[in-house]
Amino acid sequence: MSKTITISPTSRQEGHATLSLEVDDEGIVTTGRYYSITPVRGIEKMVIGKRPESAPVIVQRICGVCPVTHTLASVEAIDDSLKIEIPKTAQILREMCLNAHMVNSHAIHHFLVAPDFVPSEDYKQVVKNISEIRKQAQFVEDVIGGEGIHPSDIRIGGMAHNITKNTKNKIKTRINGVIKLIEQHVEQMTKYVEAKEFPEDLGKHAQPVLATSNTYGSRQNISLSSINEIMPNSWYADKYTSQEDEEFAEETKKTAKKIGKTACSQIPLYDNTPVETGPRARANKYRKFKDVGVKAQHLARAQEMINSAERILELVDKIDPSAQTMAKFNLEGTDRLGVGVIEGPRGTNLHTAKISSDGFISEYNCIVPTTWNIPTMGMATEGNHYDYAPDVIRAYDPCLSCATHMIVVDDESKEVLKEDMVQL
Amino acid sequence: MIQDSVLGPHQEILTARATDKKILKNAQDGGIVTALLVYALEKNIIDGTIVAGDGNEPWKPEPIVATTKKEILKSSGTKYTMCPNLAMIKEATRSYGLEKIGTVGTPCQVMGIRKMQTYPMGLRHVTDKIALIAGIYCMENFPYDSLKAFIQDKAETVPSKVVKMDISKGKLFIRTSDNETAIPIKETHGYEQSGCQYCMDYVAELSDFSCGSVGAKEGWSTIIKRTDTGASLIDNAVEDGVLEVVETNEGKFGLEMLRKLATNKKKKRQKNIDKALDIGLEVPFTKSDLKEDILENR
Ligand SMILES: Cc1cc2nc3c(=O)[nH]c(=O)nc-3n(C[C@H](O)[C@H](O)[C@H](O)COP(=O)(O)OP(=O)(O)OC[C@H]3O[C@@H](n4cnc5c(N)ncnc54)[C@H](O)[C@@H]3O)c2cc1C
Ligand code: SF4
Repeated sequence: MSKTITISPTSRQEGHATLSLEVDDEGIVTTGRYYSITPVRGIEKMVIGKRPESAPVIVQRICGVCPVTHTLASVEAIDDSLKIEIPKTAQILREMCLNAHMVNSHAIHHFLVAPDFVPSEDYKQVVKNISEIRKQAQFVEDVIGGEGIHPSDIRIGGMAHNITKNTKNKIKTRINGVIKLIEQHVEQMTKYVEAKEFPEDLGKHAQPVLATSNTYGSRQNISLSSINEIMPNSWYADKYTSQEDEEFAEETKKTAKKIGKTACSQIPLYDNTPVETGPRARANKYRKFKDVGVKAQHLARAQEMINSAERILELVDKIDPSAQTMAKFNLEGTDRLGVGVIEGPRGTNLHTAKISSDGFISEYNCIVPTTWNIPTMGMATEGNHYDYAPDVIRAYDPCLSCATHMIVVDDESKEVLKEDMVQL
Repeated sequence: MIQDSVLGPHQEILTARATDKKILKNAQDGGIVTALLVYALEKNIIDGTIVAGDGNEPWKPEPIVATTKKEILKSSGTKYTMCPNLAMIKEATRSYGLEKIGTVGTPCQVMGIRKMQTYPMGLRHVTDKIALIAGIYCMENFPYDSLKAFIQDKAETVPSKVVKMDISKGKLFIRTSDNETAIPIKETHGYEQSGCQYCMDYVAELSDFSCGSVGAKEGWSTIIKRTDTGASLIDNAVEDGVLEVVETNEGKFGLEMLRKLATNKKKKRQKNIDKALDIGLEVPFTKSDLKEDILENR
């Protein structure tokens, strides 16, 4: 008999989410719904009315896993709004910092999925390798960003500091030193992933990919007019499977409606459909990688660690330690919508900001990677046994606190007023 | 380790000076700090150090991250005004990429570093990189305006003409290329920074090693070996001929003097601390009647 399976909260991911799966007699998922139940912080609202320089500092707190990405997206959006052209060295430093973060964050994800793939006899060694890789990547984040978590030196107009020649050499030595280990680790992870007995089509879906660049992010490669954010209730309300049993049919409709009211993230559509963003999307668009599904995502993510480490080595040679890293600019508002697009570990991170003519932030909006992925993730669980659904979710490395938006609750009835959902 | 509430925990006290004439030329006393920082750099114990470098105005130092012998040498000599060396520690681990930082500081700065290490708030990947803490003795320090007042009003010259300043034998000496003015220390009272009124540490009790001129002949220094890091650095430096050692004077103008000055500082400052606490001020020190030994620095 058909039934609804609920897994809540889903595990080994950042934040809290629920998987609600309608399954048939064989346990095959017919409708997969994944939604965020992480409480909202209201970060985008908090920056309104503040001076522009507060925004990167505040919005980087959106997430402790991905602060580099949010800081970069924020300064990029504000630079764009204020029409600031940042010095070349600052641009290189920003990209290096992001790539170090990419290596670090993907390595963290390998901690999370290690229990799914890594055989117990290799576990200790793999964890040791991950720790070593993270250590070297964090060194690069620290010295360039000022702080690995919540970087202090990524600023509107450039970077607060250049690095010394000594630091430049150290980055080279350290990344050159660790790249062999990364390659070995990636080879090992690839072997484990390939050996895993998953259904052939696990995680496959027909949704398009969203990616804007190979290693940094580009506002030129995304069109704001193609984006449409819809309320979760209108997305989830008709996400259920038609049932013959009338009583159950009633129940499934009710469940879908309830999910629409509980979910705390909006549903962004690109060209009117959900997309997949992240390492596989980038690999698909920029690295000729055509596979789809859970294994493909893991393989693309692992490969991307090498891609990013190589990019750091390419960029570090271009650093001129004596160059200026801050643009000269007057902080004058333009009332222009600035766009910041960063390819974070989990995908395309889009921040938009407007600085009013009197010099305060008047508009701020983020669509972060996991928000893009949420509707697609549910769909990707469909067609296979529900036992595999958590594996599908983990392949996206979701980060829910980033993705959460604000809900408005009626004080009296405690009813969630979805129509009034505040865009944060 | 000798537990000593007057001079702080230590392993040994010795009298020494640097053998390198170039170091001695510009050093304040025995050139110990400069010689040992250079030695630690050459031996890879540190990969750079924070020192009091030149600021925008003469005799107004600014902390710099020195990664070469030349830079360390250029920053030798005492500047009798505050130099916020701790402010550079984090940056030293960031854009400078240092992993084994050396530092030099007055006792209060050394206390600050130890506090940073104990409560590393906002100091991720910083405190584990502090490799060496050199302490210098300190009775008090002066705001830059006070220093200017001494130079301009008492010595009747300008800061740029001063070649050396030194406090010894109860006087502050201000030397230009053709003149020397000695101001009795008594006359400098009231000009020191107010925090010094509550400071009980004369000999940088929490450093790896500390040194000063008191207790040694002119041009020499009294070194207090404290932690194993400090002790082995000094032992090796002596063995490698970087420092030369003479017999320590235990008498009236030697260690007795050092103990007397350290004790007097503690007693005097404890009175100030008690007074401040009595009127309800927040002073991060313990009242004497709650201490078993009032000389204890806490
Ligand atoms: C404010 C002050 C008060 C002092 N009072 C006494 C005292 O009462 N009795 C005594 O015996 N010694 C005192 N000293 C220490 C003494 O003046 C010498 O600094 C010490 O003996 C080291 O000499 P040296 O030849 O070994 O060092 P050098 O080789 O000359 O090196 C001195 C080092 O100290 C650093 N330095 C200089 N000024 C400062 C500063 N303001 N803050 C932090 N670091 C600095 C320099 O960068 C350099 O690295 C005092 C020092 C200061 C800064
Ligand atoms: S007397 Fe104490 S507080 Fe004042 S400068 Fe010296 S060590 Fe610091």
